Amino acid sequence: MIAALFWLSLRQAASPKRLLLLSIVALLPVGLAALLVSLDEADQSGIVTGGFEPLLVSLILPLVVMVLASSAFGNEVEDRTLSLLTTKPVPRWSLVLAKFIGTIAVAGPIMVGVSVVLISLAPDRESGVIAAAAAGSAIGVVVYAAVFTWAGLVTTRALAFGLVYVLLWEALITSFLSGTRYLSVRSYMIGVMHGMEGSPFSENLAIGMTTALVASGVVTALFFLLSVRRLSTMDVP
Amino acid sequence: MTTTGATIEVQAVSRWYGNVVAVNDVSFEVYPGVTGILGPNGAGKTTLLSMMCGLLRPSQGHVRVLGEEVVGNVCLYSRVGIMLEHDALYSFMTGRSFVQLAAKLQGVDDPDAVDWAIQTVNLQDAQDRPTGTYSRGMRQRIRLAATIVHDPEVLVLDEPLNGTDPRQRVEFADFVGRMSSAGKTVLISSHILEEVETLADRILLVVSGKLAAAGNHHAIREKLNERPFQVRIVAAKQREMAAALLGLPEVESIRLEHDGIDVTTRNLADLQRSTPRLAQDIGSRLYRLEPLDDSLESVFSYVVQR
Repeated sequence: MIAALFWLSLRQAASPKRLLLLSIVALLPVGLAALLVSLDEADQSGIVTGGFEPLLVSLILPLVVMVLASSAFGNEVEDRTLSLLTTKPVPRWSLVLAKFIGTIAVAGPIMVGVSVVLISLAPDRESGVIAAAAAGSAIGVVVYAAVFTWAGLVTTRALAFGLVYVLLWEALITSFLSGTRYLSVRSYMIGVMHGMEGSPFSENLAIGMTTALVASGVVTALFFLLSVRRLSTMDVP
Repeated sequence: MTTTGATIEVQAVSRWYGNVVAVNDVSFEVYPGVTGILGPNGAGKTTLLSMMCGLLRPSQGHVRVLGEEVVGNVCLYSRVGIMLEHDALYSFMTGRSFVQLAAKLQGVDDPDAVDWAIQTVNLQDAQDRPTGTYSRGMRQRIRLAATIVHDPEVLVLDEPLNGTDPRQRVEFADFVGRMSSAGKTVLISSHILEEVETLADRILLVVSGKLAAAGNHHAIREKLNERPFQVRIVAAKQREMAAALLGLPEVESIRLEHDGIDVTTRNLADLQRSTPRLAQDIGSRLYRLEPLDDSLESVFSYVVQR
């Protein structure tokens, strides 16, 4: 049953047009970094602090996951196909799980792949930094997938909500108010990466690695449960 | 099933959205066989069905299906088949894979169930085509196949004949008859009286969110035919025609308008028979005889007002 739901979610998330568009957006920092490297203007540290963190981690990764996760249930509501699923003897948690894993299965390879390629462009690349970037990106995909899957269930304007959240909260407020980093997915990602490799990842944006891992797990579990609860109590159009 | 033998019990159910009351204190029971929910568009039929299917929570009251509360009871869906009005399908799937998905989600083990369901709706030839290429009628049929693939005890079908052609309607009536003979409960909603009349043993008439009447189709038809009809008659000699019409026993009142004569009658059939003869008697040409308010909404409104 879960396999059938997962296949459905994957097929919905991975439409060719959408994949192409998201891949182009995700590859923007790679193109920029490749240009700078070809001009001898960027080393590993420069790529991490100048492109990976401010562009990929703070902006592109959450946006790519947001598009996929918020539409996981959002499109079902819009197309009125959600009732096809909710009128079956299927536990609500398995519906949420299938959508959640479907989003990760599509966004994960794109974002982790782009992170690896981006750092690998540096002439002085280190395998530890590449691994840390991959791990941090993977965690970001998982946590954002949980948050935006829930957003797709609670509002028909999940994309607007996501944009405000990403641009205002993640990119702006948590950069200036250090206390808010414990509620920032970006800080969890950088916390894990910094915990694994230290420099070149920004210490001032990071929280402790253990805290980052625990917080990531808690936020993911919390939004997963909120999604299950929402799906169990909402009016299905 | 309950002690009364009812498979669906709707008890004092209301549903409102802010200040708008969609369903107002409705109670009825549905028994094995075919029951039709009849009402004009916007009467609250779909809201009522959605509450019976557990998709909407009643603001007040209770709905029980097969003796169990519907809300939050996902296990119940293995005994109930639901096909809602909106034309929802996954357009990237073939018809067969859509029915297969429904079978998997229903936990159907029988490998022949998908073939049986597709055969029942007579869509074998198109089963391997993407549903995005289907006509409206085909989409209805493949949705019906997905709805019945687990051989449910209760079938809830919201406007199932939308988009179907006459041959498909006959096949559908045949299918519904077989389900009824097998002791299953089939609940069908429609805004077309003739449609429900031919299919259902019992009709629930819903108007403006209220249950206006319930009974077999003869009783409902009688109720609907009792109302006065407004008819416009256009003839060459308007005044002479109006005077002659006043002498007919079936005519209740007459209003002479600049473009015709508006007649109120409770016996439309007799009026339709008498008028041409009357026109001939006074030597007038009869141009038109048309009902003014024969929309379903006006018919239903009359029944509710009574």
